Amino acid sequence: MKMTPKAVVIGSLLILATIVFVVVFLPYATRIQLPSDIFRDRTAHEADGRAIYIANGCVYCHSQSIRSIDWGLGAERIAQAGDYIQDKPILLGSERTGPDLSQEGGEHPDDWHTAHFINPRYTRPLSIMPAFAFLGMDDIKTLTTYAQGLGLKHADKRIQRQRFWKEKAVRAYESGPEGNVKWLHENVPEGWRNLPNPYPTTEAGLARGHKIYQDFCLGCHSPIGDGMGPAQPHLNPPPLNFTILKDRGVSGGILYYQIMNGITGTAMPYFKRELESEKIWDVGNYVAVYFINQTDADTEPKGIDAAYEP
Amino acid sequence: MTTNATSALPTYMTAKGFCLTSGFWMMVATFMGLLGATELIAPDLTENIGWLVFGRVRPIHVNLVLFGFVTPGLLSSAFYYVPRLLRTELYSEKLGVITVLAWNFALVTVVVSLAMGYSQGREYAEMIWPIDMLIVLAFTLVFINLIMTVAQRKEPILYVSVWYVCAGIVLTAVTFSLGNVIWKPNSGSLVGIPDAILLWFYGHNVFGLLLTPLSAGVAYYVIPRACRAPLYSHTLSLFGFWSLLVVYTHIGTHHLLQVPVPTWLKVISIVDSVAMVIPVMAFLINIWYTAKGKLGEIHADIGAKFVFTGTIMYFFVSIQGSMMALPDVQRVTHFNNWVVAHAHVGVLGFAGMISLGGLYYILPRITGKPLYSRFLADFQYWLILIGVIGFTVVLTIVGLIQGNAWLNGETVYRILPEMHVYYVTRASIGLIIFSSAILGLYNILRSIFFNPGEIS
Ligand code: HEC
Ligand code: HEC
Ligand code: HEM
Repeated sequence: MKMTPKAVVIGSLLILATIVFVVVFLPYATRIQLPSDIFRDRTAHEADGRAIYIANGCVYCHSQSIRSIDWGLGAERIAQAGDYIQDKPILLGSERTGPDLSQEGGEHPDDWHTAHFINPRYTRPLSIMPAFAFLGMDDIKTLTTYAQGLGLKHADKRIQRQRFWKEKAVRAYESGPEGNVKWLHENVPEGWRNLPNPYPTTEAGLARGHKIYQDFCLGCHSPIGDGMGPAQPHLNPPPLNFTILKDRGVSGGILYYQIMNGITGTAMPYFKRELESEKIWDVGNYVAVYFINQTDADTEPKGIDAAYEP
Repeated sequence: MTTNATSALPTYMTAKGFCLTSGFWMMVATFMGLLGATELIAPDLTENIGWLVFGRVRPIHVNLVLFGFVTPGLLSSAFYYVPRLLRTELYSEKLGVITVLAWNFALVTVVVSLAMGYSQGREYAEMIWPIDMLIVLAFTLVFINLIMTVAQRKEPILYVSVWYVCAGIVLTAVTFSLGNVIWKPNSGSLVGIPDAILLWFYGHNVFGLLLTPLSAGVAYYVIPRACRAPLYSHTLSLFGFWSLLVVYTHIGTHHLLQVPVPTWLKVISIVDSVAMVIPVMAFLINIWYTAKGKLGEIHADIGAKFVFTGTIMYFFVSIQGSMMALPDVQRVTHFNNWVVAHAHVGVLGFAGMISLGGLYYILPRITGKPLYSRFLADFQYWLILIGVIGFTVVLTIVGLIQGNAWLNGETVYRILPEMHVYYVTRASIGLIIFSSAILGLYNILRSIFFNPGEIS
């Protein structure tokens, strides 16, 4: 074959044109334009938030695409083409330094996001996400609106749930420590309320609890458990001051349940994905021993002793 | 044409200009990489400095590496070897210098606009419309200069390096325009899934139709010359060239295997990703057989040493890439630092190494004096080699930790502390690479401007 300049330039352009037709144009022509079950239009405010998301490169750390093999945040629903029919540009992302955000809306109440955006270490002590305080409060609010819309109709449902419980949580908090603790505990299923921590307090267990507390809880509840961590000024209701729980009927089961399940409507997140059962008991007992000064660990009814106990 | 026909000695202004461009922006680009790596260790280091936030530093790093360091370096060699291979002079050095200036102006606007948060949010296509136009213009100017040089050639036969450069430039100008959706200045994007398909068609072609052909062009020029041996096979050159164009352009969708895109498109991309061994091996066998028994000569020439190492990296990155396109492998490797390791073997180990090799090969020839310091160049070679291998090992380990942990149901947050020590190692290696860029720039500057060397 003789490689003349024409052969090189025109030949390669012809190849390119053919391939563009097959791998770009055909998929475009046959694209799915039907909205999926969760689709709704984005509001103007959400669209502004999305622009901030793009300008600050959130897409380099966060995907918006749930796969069939995922477990974490948002994994309840696998992505469909019809979810994206208004995304311009689409923000699937190529790296997950942080979690997938497809279904972020309603995972947390707005105040959690405010504190988190100001500095992610406030709510997540080990986070490596950049602080976005430099955006200013207006942009943080707008960005939060976008984050709370991720997941579209599913997000809206979760947001309604957050608002419903937020109103009750704030009212309880404003009624003073007595009423607040009462409200918190009456929402814990009864079986849990009457359950003491079945495991004995050990030095090793407390040390583990201490580590977990530092890695997960400290930004809100503070190193001394008084709820005055750096996130506190941004949260309403503020993080619980554990010392008020003393003599108010708290149990190992209540602590376990609240840590596992979180308290929807407040910034208190659920930890059932992040902490295995032993870790939840350990951090609960750490809180009980050091901050509440009252633990029911290893009291009856505790059933048959666990096999590992010395 | 008349201006050039009369001038006595070629000045190689354009080649020198692109050489300086590459050396300078390599320093800036690797610094941005180092900064980003440091932010992943100490996220509050740049707290409240909006324009240095990780999400803006990363695209600056990536775009500068691609369009500031590697591409200009490869073009610098091309502006030297294309006229030489065609026994003529560059069509217009003036146009060439204008291109260099336009190119650098575009790079400055890239940095400033991304730092200010003007981004279209699509990987490798972040730049806003006016900058896209500048880049298309720069590529067009390069193409005009080269094709006019071809037109005035005194050598009837086009050597394979010339095919690669001409095709690489014209195809990139087209795919860049397509990929950046330049007919929609405001968003620079399509809507929904087709946007992802187009983006990764283009994104993959940045490697396949720009870096790879330009690197192949340099390798095809430098290796036979350094070995003083004829090219092993003309048939393999032809085969490698056309199969690269056909196969590489099909595989962009392997970036989207876990996303709801049409299955037939995924199948094409997987099959052709595996078929990539054909163009890759056609090229490599051709180069390696040319160098057979001549490794001494390659070792003796620092430029050729860089280039040859680059071809070995090309082997590894391509075999790895074909593996990564298999859905079973991608269950573990997608979305994590494994891909970042792959990207560095490709862009720094393969294209970057060859880009530098080309520069060190042509510098003595365009200045008429020996390289300012062969030792510094050799030292830089080792720093980069250690850097690339170090990156690959460290980032692959992190990627495996992340990928396997996620598959097992662990959350992203839980893995962060496990990654920390590797991130520290990674930033240290980044420091090595950044240092090597400073040495490289110094060597280039001294070779061009303050070179005490004898006239060779
Ligand atoms: C350096 C990478 C990085 C960048 C850039 C980044 N994030 Fe994150 N993000 C993370 C990490 C890591 C986490 C997990 C730890 C945490 O919650 O802070 C996270 C968590 C989050 C969460 C909480 C998810 C949850 O419910 O637990 C949200 C919301 C979020 N990021 C939004 C954003 C937005 C919006 C931006 C851009 C303004 C952004 N992120 C930029 C790394 C990043
Ligand atoms: C983002 C801030 C935040 C983080 C992080 C956080 N909490 Fe909370 N926590 C709260 C808030 C807010 C409340 C509820 C306050 C209220 O409603 O008065 C709360 C309530 C609780 C309660 C309820 C006590 C009761 O008697 O019902 C427990 C227990 C608790 N947190 C433990 C933890 C532990 C353990 C961790 C770490 C694993 C943790 N929290 C992390 C904010 C946080
Ligand atoms: C046969 C050749 C190759 C194949 C089959 C291949 C395959 C792949 C695949 C499948 C991915 C996506 C990984 C994922 O997201 O899970 C990828 C990413 C990447 N590849 Fe390659 N690759 C090849 C060669 C190269 C070369 C030569 C270069 C550089 C010059 C390169 C640079 C990159 C980069 C930079 C990325 C990261 C893209 C991103 O930002 O997500 N690859 N490659």
